[in-house]
Amino acid sequence: MKLHEYQGKEILRQFGVNVQDGKVARTPDEVRQIAREYGQPVVVKAQVHVGGRGKAGGVKFSPTEDKAFENGEKILGMDIKGLTVNKVLVTKAVDIDAGTEYYVGMIVDRNVQSFTLMASAEGGMEIEEVAAATPEKIIKHRVDPVTGLRPYEAREVAIRAGFKGNLNKIADMMVKMSEAALKRDAVLVEINPLFVGPDGVPLALDTKFEIDDNAMYRHQDLADWRELEAEHPLEIEASKYGFAYVKLDGNVGVLGNGAGIVMTSLDVVNRAGAKPANFLDIGGGAKAEVVYNAVKLVSKDSDVKAIFINIFGGITRADEVAKGVIQALKDGILTKPVRMRIAGTAEDEAKALLAEVNSPLIQMYPTMFEAADEAAKEANAAEAK
Amino acid sequence: MGILVDKNSKVIVQGMTGREGASHSRAMKEFGTQVVAGVTPGKGGTDFEGWPVYNSVAEAKEKHGANVSIIFVPPAGAADAVLEAAHAGMPLIVLITEGVPTVDMMRAVQEVNQLDAQNRAQGGQGIRLIGGNCPGLVTNGEAKVGIMPNKIYTNPGRIGLISRSGTLTYEAAKLLNDAGLGTSTTVGIGGDPVIGTTFADVLPLFEADPDTDAVIVIGEIGGADEEAAAAYIAENMKKPVVAFISGRSAPKGKRMGHAGAIIMGDVGTPESKLAAFAAANVPVADTMPEIIDLVKQALNK
Repeated sequence: MKLHEYQGKEILRQFGVNVQDGKVARTPDEVRQIAREYGQPVVVKAQVHVGGRGKAGGVKFSPTEDKAFENGEKILGMDIKGLTVNKVLVTKAVDIDAGTEYYVGMIVDRNVQSFTLMASAEGGMEIEEVAAATPEKIIKHRVDPVTGLRPYEAREVAIRAGFKGNLNKIADMMVKMSEAALKRDAVLVEINPLFVGPDGVPLALDTKFEIDDNAMYRHQDLADWRELEAEHPLEIEASKYGFAYVKLDGNVGVLGNGAGIVMTSLDVVNRAGAKPANFLDIGGGAKAEVVYNAVKLVSKDSDVKAIFINIFGGITRADEVAKGVIQALKDGILTKPVRMRIAGTAEDEAKALLAEVNSPLIQMYPTMFEAADEAAKEANAAEAK
Repeated sequence: MGILVDKNSKVIVQGMTGREGASHSRAMKEFGTQVVAGVTPGKGGTDFEGWPVYNSVAEAKEKHGANVSIIFVPPAGAADAVLEAAHAGMPLIVLITEGVPTVDMMRAVQEVNQLDAQNRAQGGQGIRLIGGNCPGLVTNGEAKVGIMPNKIYTNPGRIGLISRSGTLTYEAAKLLNDAGLGTSTTVGIGGDPVIGTTFADVLPLFEADPDTDAVIVIGEIGGADEEAAAAYIAENMKKPVVAFISGRSAPKGKRMGHAGAIIMGDVGTPESKLAAFAAANVPVADTMPEIIDLVKQALNK
């Protein structure tokens, strides 16, 4: 789960990180109110789950109350990469030129089977850009997942990255960030910029925080931070059924039993000259009802012109898959052609059931390639109409 | 014979009395695996469908001389179950559970690695963790410690198989089976970001196995395990290796079902994996059936 800047800052604050003050506003009037309270120049920042807010005009310096109100009006309701801005964070402005901006972050790094701490003197920039242009400017260090980051390690990394200021306080901020990452099951946490003012004291001006979905069960206090309006409605419905679902931008609905087979199904649809409209994993051992719900979900997507089902039946029974699809047809939910390959357990029973129904809408093929080709053909033909 | 498990492996099942544990215990037994006991804390001393159930791994290991544990414990307790097995000195631990928090896996993997090193330093055989979020492993014709469908393993052969994906492992095993090539051992290493055993850990075992002639590596987008495997192959492998990469058309930044199947920034792209295999002279199949053609070509060289 991705957190907003203000939420990530709240977590860091709980762990003792010195975080730039700020308050959330949902209306321009609230923005004005906060600006008045702070009594000095403020920055109005869009709270959306995408990068590049600044470039999109979602972050604005506001020297006066009136300007803050105006910027609030501009940013609230704005569309940034397909997401509507419903909230802004209003923070006191900092004189960036009087100090230095650094970067620190921690990510899950499978290559070291733990977190990697990253630090760079190139703060304020997107770290991917720094990594691409000047990878030597990012200092990396494996964090022990049992002990967490120790102060001496943090100091060492800060020194190697060329950080100037109160080293003990900077290291302390990194240690506290590490505690937050481990205790809150972060996948990614960044403090960028980490601003060091003329007094040498570090201040977190912005943060990114993403929590491991597998660990959400032990962070129930954060569960209501999930914003359904920021997610795709079909993704919300899919999560109710327990499906792994990703909305994509093509015209063929793709579903199968297992992440690997669905990923490969996407590739096969591409090879067939069409584009997948989604990734949907129904999981293992799905019964007819599960398949029915999957077909229902995919059918609701107006981008979908045909459906490709790819099942390798081990514990999943082909006849259960067929039953689910047939029921969807009978209930009038299925109005788009389904082209499927179901190999494995109870394949013959599935064929018999489909022969009985004998509908041109549902066809079974011996290989995933033939089924995908047919689905692609149907989808592209429907699209051309 | 194959690697890691064989007909002499004595297997205990942690979480045997749960729904998944029970059905797969039966399926493993049907396959011919020596499933010797179950472990369910609190149910020690009971009998489950003819198997004795113990409260702890240590007890089950001691009573039956077990040397493999397979884990079906739910996510919240899964890493703890791994540590219990490791501290009991179980040499091979197979974690099937999907959805274990990554921080738990980081800690468990690190501790297992430390115990493994200690164990070896003292002249023991070490401790290996496979998974989590994996289908387990099968030495065809001998033993299955996993959840693969039994009937795709009717044709024992001499091709080793390593995969991050369960379903694609089944697909490949079936293709090999139907092509008359058959498999030696299949190892599903799992689709999570932090796992106990990687491609590069399994490759040397196949290289040293007299019953394996060629190896298939089934990778996917995300991480750099395939790149590490390619580097290992280029340096160390004499046996032919054929690869396949799933998710080549997946968009960046989206998690494709597996927790580990995500392209982050420039890490985990199909291009990087394809380039690494090309540099290692490992042919990469465009489709699953093409894997068989490439294996045949490699064997005829």
